[in-house]
Amino acid sequence: MLENILNLVGFLVGLAIGIMSFVGFRNTGSPTLFRLTIAFFSISIGFLVIWFGYMLEDYVIKSGNIDRGIQTLGIIIQTIGYFFIAFSHSIKALFPKSNYFRSVGILPFFLVSTVQLEHIFRSISFILLVYGAIETILSYRDNRNKGAVSVALGLGLLAFGEFLGWYSFVFPESILYSISMTIKIAGLVALFIPVSKVPLKKIKFDDDLDKI
Amino acid sequence: MAEYRTQMKIIGDILSTTRDDLQDEDGATVTYLIRKANISHSRISRILKTLVSQGLLEQADSQGSNRYKISQSGREFLQAYHSFSKFADNFGLNI
Repeated sequence: MLENILNLVGFLVGLAIGIMSFVGFRNTGSPTLFRLTIAFFSISIGFLVIWFGYMLEDYVIKSGNIDRGIQTLGIIIQTIGYFFIAFSHSIKALFPKSNYFRSVGILPFFLVSTVQLEHIFRSISFILLVYGAIETILSYRDNRNKGAVSVALGLGLLAFGEFLGWYSFVFPESILYSISMTIKIAGLVALFIPVSKVPLKKIKFDDDLDKI
Repeated sequence: MAEYRTQMKIIGDILSTTRDDLQDEDGATVTYLIRKANISHSRISRILKTLVSQGLLEQADSQGSNRYKISQSGREFLQAYHSFSKFADNFGLNI
C-alpha cells in the first residue's frame, strides 16, 4: 500500500514539473526546456508504470510481489528521464575533463556486475543523477542561484534513493525499498520547490513600460 | 573568458534592449542594437528578420533608416523568457 501511494506521489510531482517545463517550451521554444519536458514526463510515466504494477499485484495477481517486468519497464522509462537531465548539461556529461569526474564515470563498470536488466538501469540512473547533481551544484558557483542548491539536493536524493532501491535486492522483504521510494519522493519535492516559484499566470506589465 | 550565449539569450538581449533601453520613441536602429547586443551585422539581420516575421518586433521606417520596437507579443515572450530562464537556472542550465 505504501509503495502505491509513494509511486503515485512521484507520478504527480514529476508530472507537475514536466508541465512547467512544457509550458516554458511552448512559450519560448527553448530546446533546453524541451529536454527537461521529456525528462520529467519520462520520470513521471516511470512512476506511473510502477504504480500500475503494484495495483495489478494488489488487486489482480495477488502473488505478493510486483511483476518484475513491469517494475523493470518503469525503471527503464525513469532512466530515460535521468539521461535527459544529464544530457541537458551537454557533451560535458559524456566527457568530463577532471580526473575526479573521470573516476566517477568509471563507477558503472563496477555497479553493473549483475546481469539483471533492472540492476543495470538502476546503476545507469544513479550515475546520471550523481552527474546531474554535481553539474548543478557547480553552476551555483557561477550564478549563486539558491534554487540550484535545492535542485542539486533533489537530484542527490534521487540518486541516493536509486542506490537504495538497487541495494534492496540484498534484503528483498525489508523496508529498504520503501525507504528508497520515500527518499526519491523527497528528491522530487526538493526539485519542485524552486520550480514552483516560476509564475505561470499572466504577468502584469508595468504601466511605465506600456508608454514606450 | 567571454560568456557563451545561446541563440535564445541573444534574442532575449535584443528584445530587452528594444523594451527597456531605447534611444528615442521611434525605436532602435540596427547599429544601436548591434552595439547593445554585441553581435555581428549579418547575424543580427537574420535574427531581426525572424523576430519581425514572428510578430515579436515592429519595424518602422524613420529618418531614412529601419527602426525596431517591441510589440505586445514581444513583451509577453520576453516575460516568459525571463521567467523560464530562472526555471532553467535552477537546473544549472541556460535556455
